[in-house]
Amino acid sequence: MARGLELVISGLSLGGVYALLAFAMSLTISTTRVLNVAHGVFFVWGGAFFVILSRHLGLHPVLSIALLTLLFFFLALLFEWGIVRTLLGRSVHLLLVGSIMATFGLGLSMESALGYSWVTFVDPYPVFSSSLVMFPVHLGGVSLSGSRLVILAFVVVTVTAFHLFLQRTFLGKGARAMAQNFDGFLVIGLNPFRLSLILFSLAIVATAISGAFYVLAVPLDPYQGLPLTLKSFTVVILAGVGNLPGTLVAGALLGLAEVITSQFFGTVWAPAVSLAVLFLVLVFRPTGLFGKGLD
Amino acid sequence: MKALVLGSVALLGVLPFALSSSWLLVMFLSFLWLILTANYDILDGFLGYINLGQGAFFGLGAYVATVLLNVPQMQELGVLTYVVAAGSALGVAALFAAVMAFPLFRLKGLYFAIATLILIFLLQVLALNLAELTGGSYGLYVPPRFFMSTFVGYYLALTLAVAAVAVNWYLSRSTLGLAFRCIKGDDHAAGSIGLDLMRYKILALVIGSLPSAAAGVLFALNSGFIDPNIALGVERSLLPALMALLGGTGTVFGPVFGTGLIRIMETIFFHYLHLPVPSMLFFGLTLMLVALLIPDGLMRSPWIKRLPALRRLASV
Repeated sequence: MARGLELVISGLSLGGVYALLAFAMSLTISTTRVLNVAHGVFFVWGGAFFVILSRHLGLHPVLSIALLTLLFFFLALLFEWGIVRTLLGRSVHLLLVGSIMATFGLGLSMESALGYSWVTFVDPYPVFSSSLVMFPVHLGGVSLSGSRLVILAFVVVTVTAFHLFLQRTFLGKGARAMAQNFDGFLVIGLNPFRLSLILFSLAIVATAISGAFYVLAVPLDPYQGLPLTLKSFTVVILAGVGNLPGTLVAGALLGLAEVITSQFFGTVWAPAVSLAVLFLVLVFRPTGLFGKGLD
Repeated sequence: MKALVLGSVALLGVLPFALSSSWLLVMFLSFLWLILTANYDILDGFLGYINLGQGAFFGLGAYVATVLLNVPQMQELGVLTYVVAAGSALGVAALFAAVMAFPLFRLKGLYFAIATLILIFLLQVLALNLAELTGGSYGLYVPPRFFMSTFVGYYLALTLAVAAVAVNWYLSRSTLGLAFRCIKGDDHAAGSIGLDLMRYKILALVIGSLPSAAAGVLFALNSGFIDPNIALGVERSLLPALMALLGGTGTVFGPVFGTGLIRIMETIFFHYLHLPVPSMLFFGLTLMLVALLIPDGLMRSPWIKRLPALRRLASV
């Protein structure tokens, strides 16, 4: 029972982080149709910069997060101006191809830049984890990892914030309109470029901060970004592109499935779960488990 | 144009006598990349599907051949060993392509691209975990007596690469290729004029899988060792797409130019410029700039049409 609860908590916190990654990705794909392959790399960069700021420079964690937000906001601006804006005018096929290619190139160079500078300037051991020790929480005789509960809380808060942004604010409604009917969106006089700038900065900043929270519980290495992108794709497609509440459920399901698989069949089979699930969903329910696809 | 093509092939035919062994290897590997790229373009350029799973056929070919070469009974067959190993590698890859075509072609666009990308990761996981058969992460050695020299490999790979480009050339001027282009233009319209869509799509995937699998066999025989990262690395799937896009998809010589340019770039970055910072950084940035600045690929870009020699090539 105690073991079961631990498994559920670690599965949910892992899945929650997947869900957040996928949430940001789903938001940008469904509105701009730009597929950001470097998405997971921003996540890893967020984790790395958090460790540098909070551990190696000794800053307060909250201050670190604030600086991180600022830094990744500027990176997101560069990303949107440099890449997304160039791609936006292209036809559907060329937009897809161009975005895969450009962001894959960006991801490769970001990965190697981080891997190289980490080993050269920060630490010869290329794995980063946070030194912030979370005390175990005792809950009815069960002791749970505190860092995992913090991650879970962060996921809940962020997803709620995203939800409120999309449902209540004018810009959020604009984003939903852009995803639902692009022509209609243009007709009522909204500016797609401005919205894409806002959405990409939100997505990238949220991704980087979830990276910072992730390293509290799980160590990351510089070359994990592109595999994480694939995992976040899994969740996006499992839920259906643009279906944000479904993303949360799908992320949690995937996290649980991975944790349970590595518990009972060994950790080597954990990556196979997401791949097999993704493949089966694509084949049998291309619109995602909860309907409403992009095409 | 005919003279240009025949001349380049003839030049490549005598090149090994003038090259050092390391350059021979670079050329051999470039031909393997060209095979993958030309095969990739059958689906992208002719059929309009973004296939990020081309490397799966390469890895499958390499693994099937190497596993068979390690079977003791197989080793007694003499020359027939190569034939059986390569034949089974091609057969397995073609079968894999034909079976996978059914689920894959229910999808299109982004979904098709991602589903094909998963293929290589799935095979990676299988190669890692079916350790009795594949050696897992330790990889698999080709028995030394079946090792193929780079000199022989060069000519085999060159022949195969010419054949792969010839397939695309055939597709560019045959009714089969016309049917593919019809499907690319409008799936429903192609169906309503009586084309059997599924048949053509399966055919395209199978045609594109055979040379790639053969390239995998050549690679395994030459390197003598394969593991999940070497034979089934994700760049085996992504680089062919990038090469074809750089050159221009749907043109016969686009993949050739794209492969050549990216290989030259790679060679310069990774072997010549001893940069103080990692070469991958510049390689990645170059890919990004190419994608942003040359959306249709070189063969369709207006400035290449101003060069008379290349204009002829670009029109195929």
